[in-house]
Amino acid sequence: MDFTYSAENLRFRDELRQWLSDNLPIGWGVTVHEPKDEDERARFRLGWERQLFDGGWSGLDWPTQYGGRGATLIEQAIFSEEMARAGAPDGLNIIGRNLVGPTLMRHGTEAQRQRYLPKILSTDEVWCQGFSEPNAGSDLASINCRAERDGDHFVVNGQKVWTSFAQYSQWCILLVRTDRSLPKHQGISFMLVDMRSPGVTVRPLRQISGESEFNETFFEDVRVPAENIVGELNGGWKIAQTTLAAERGPGDAMARQIRFKRELDDLIVAAATLKRGSTSAIDDPVLRQKIAKSIVEIEIMRLSCLRSLSKLLKGSAPGAAASMLKLYWSHAAQGLYETALETLGFLAPLTDGDSLAPAEGRFQLGFLQSRAFTIYSGSSEIQRNIIAERMLGLPR
Amino acid sequence: MDFDFSDQQYLFRETFHGFLEQNHDLKKHAALLEGDGFDADLWWGLADLGLFSMLVPEQFGGLGLSFVDMALVLEELGMELVGAPASETIVATDLIVRHGSEKQQARLLPLLAAGKLRVATAIAEPKSGFGDLNIQAQAASNSNGWRLNGHKIMVPHAVMADLIMVAARIGPSQELGLVMLEPQRKGVVLREQSTLDPACRFYAMTLDSVAVDVEDFLGGAVPQPTSLARLLDVSSAVAALQLTGIAGKVLDIAVAYAAQRVQFGKPIGSFQAIKHKCADMAVAIDAARSAAYYGAWAIAEDAVDRVKAVSMAKSFCGDTARQVCNEGIQIHGGMGFTWELGLHWYLRRAKVLEFSHGDAAFHRERVMAATLAELQRQE
Repeated sequence: MDFTYSAENLRFRDELRQWLSDNLPIGWGVTVHEPKDEDERARFRLGWERQLFDGGWSGLDWPTQYGGRGATLIEQAIFSEEMARAGAPDGLNIIGRNLVGPTLMRHGTEAQRQRYLPKILSTDEVWCQGFSEPNAGSDLASINCRAERDGDHFVVNGQKVWTSFAQYSQWCILLVRTDRSLPKHQGISFMLVDMRSPGVTVRPLRQISGESEFNETFFEDVRVPAENIVGELNGGWKIAQTTLAAERGPGDAMARQIRFKRELDDLIVAAATLKRGSTSAIDDPVLRQKIAKSIVEIEIMRLSCLRSLSKLLKGSAPGAAASMLKLYWSHAAQGLYETALETLGFLAPLTDGDSLAPAEGRFQLGFLQSRAFTIYSGSSEIQRNIIAERMLGLPR
Repeated sequence: MDFDFSDQQYLFRETFHGFLEQNHDLKKHAALLEGDGFDADLWWGLADLGLFSMLVPEQFGGLGLSFVDMALVLEELGMELVGAPASETIVATDLIVRHGSEKQQARLLPLLAAGKLRVATAIAEPKSGFGDLNIQAQAASNSNGWRLNGHKIMVPHAVMADLIMVAARIGPSQELGLVMLEPQRKGVVLREQSTLDPACRFYAMTLDSVAVDVEDFLGGAVPQPTSLARLLDVSSAVAALQLTGIAGKVLDIAVAYAAQRVQFGKPIGSFQAIKHKCADMAVAIDAARSAAYYGAWAIAEDAVDRVKAVSMAKSFCGDTARQVCNEGIQIHGGMGFTWELGLHWYLRRAKVLEFSHGDAAFHRERVMAATLAELQRQE
């Protein structure tokens, strides 16, 4: 057990810090913030991602032959930590980097990897994920969107939903039903679909938070070359599991943890200035208990990420551990935002746009966004089934 | 960077696990309610495996290992409800290694390493509350030498202890320190207390003008004001590991039961109401492990964030053990409520540990204070 970084790790960290201070806009996070308009923000994030790529900081964990850096797991952890510390913007091609990359590296052909992977990192191609459907949410294997063979093409018809970033994407990883005669888990294929194909329609959905990150996506007689199937025909369910596990792993959680930690720090600062009766909110013993509970829970999130990473470093498979981490952090983070609003007290209802809203309504936005944590990437109920059945061995 | 245990550390755990599986069970545990409550066979078995020599430096006949090496073993002891005097002796060993005078170390550490010294700690007082703020016991010197006066409660296995480590204010400065004395000394009166977990064998201890010597002060002639703070932190870290062990054990028992108990023609473990409870318990236990292991590391390294790390662990592991023990009984239905099945032993021990050395609220407040201090330093 050792919580110190090696000299090599520290050099990596210092190099990254230097690069960040040279490349983030002057006054970043203080006087300069992300654009508020969503489309502008998407362009801004894509530009930032391109900057990271040009600096050699994109695809840390990817092999160098696909444009990555081939960094160690520890360096990835340091990267997440430093990006969050600097409050660096998110990228836009999150699905490409975090989900499509690992999936193609594991299940794609060499030709597919050569064709698609480098353009993900270079930001030339942004990806979205077409898994969920109106009638296939937690029961993902009951998808209905179908692909029928027509010569050397498949013809896709159906609807997907909650397709984040579809409006900015050139490509989509799509789960389709390719054989209706097989049991539901066995007739599914995993394909790569060009979003610019005729017959693809994207309609933004407005979310609780008022934002429109995700969409409904319609496929009407969309022609997809047969070579765009990943892995075996009708073998898509197994591949989707790789994608889903990548979505829930410690790398993702590590980056989130640091953002939550910053929120907490900001909350504590806010609590010191907010009044509760004649004293500061931070002196209210009831509130202190709640804030401390969140501090403990969010700090444990970091420790659990490190434990998970250490296990991965020794070669153990992520498996149900990824579900444990996701179930843990999603609820811990929701608790944090509930506490945040309680801390703001009578000012809690005021949101961005009102001059009296604390921290420009950030906590309220975070609170609204946090409702999705326990739903996306597999709802808490699904995670509990996975943990109980695959880890604890309880009967189905 | 490596937040995992070494192969050797896992091997230690396996060794103790195997021994306890062979030599200890709930029936033997329940039998400890009779007689003096001390299982000598168990003690010597653990001693033979090196439990008490782990923390003792090699020059004193020990293995020279660290608190991180102890972590999994302490979790294992927690699972099997092996507490004081074993756990308290381990805590005291850490204190003597860190704060004992050369003379005390030379005298006590070889005995500890050989398992020949059982130690109990005496911190709480009838009106002390959690922590060390209101400790009243006092060692004062007059022309006849030093005298110790005070009232202590919940001193585990005090009658069977060779040495009791007493938290007290020392001398005119009223500085808090630790005084070590044998329970047989004149002026020491012990009264067994009735508690939620009778296997803990708690005693109230009255100290009426007990003669002590500077040699009895931990650290000798130079009292160590930081020693009591460390005693509280080490005790909390040990409790957190034991609570985690208890929670892990109860989940195992509950899962095994849910998999075989049939109602409505199906194992109840196939129902999501039960399944989801078990999953939530597993997640809480995994998080508790992260906290408890980090706490152990902070104790081993005497890290700058020791207080925060330990308090995170104690509060979270206490809450987790509470959740798991309650739900574990719930999953067993009526059987869970019986004396016979014995789940209550885990519930009892967890409840005692939850309120030992500061409850969750006490420790969360320490986390809050430490965090505010951290933020202030960063400014």
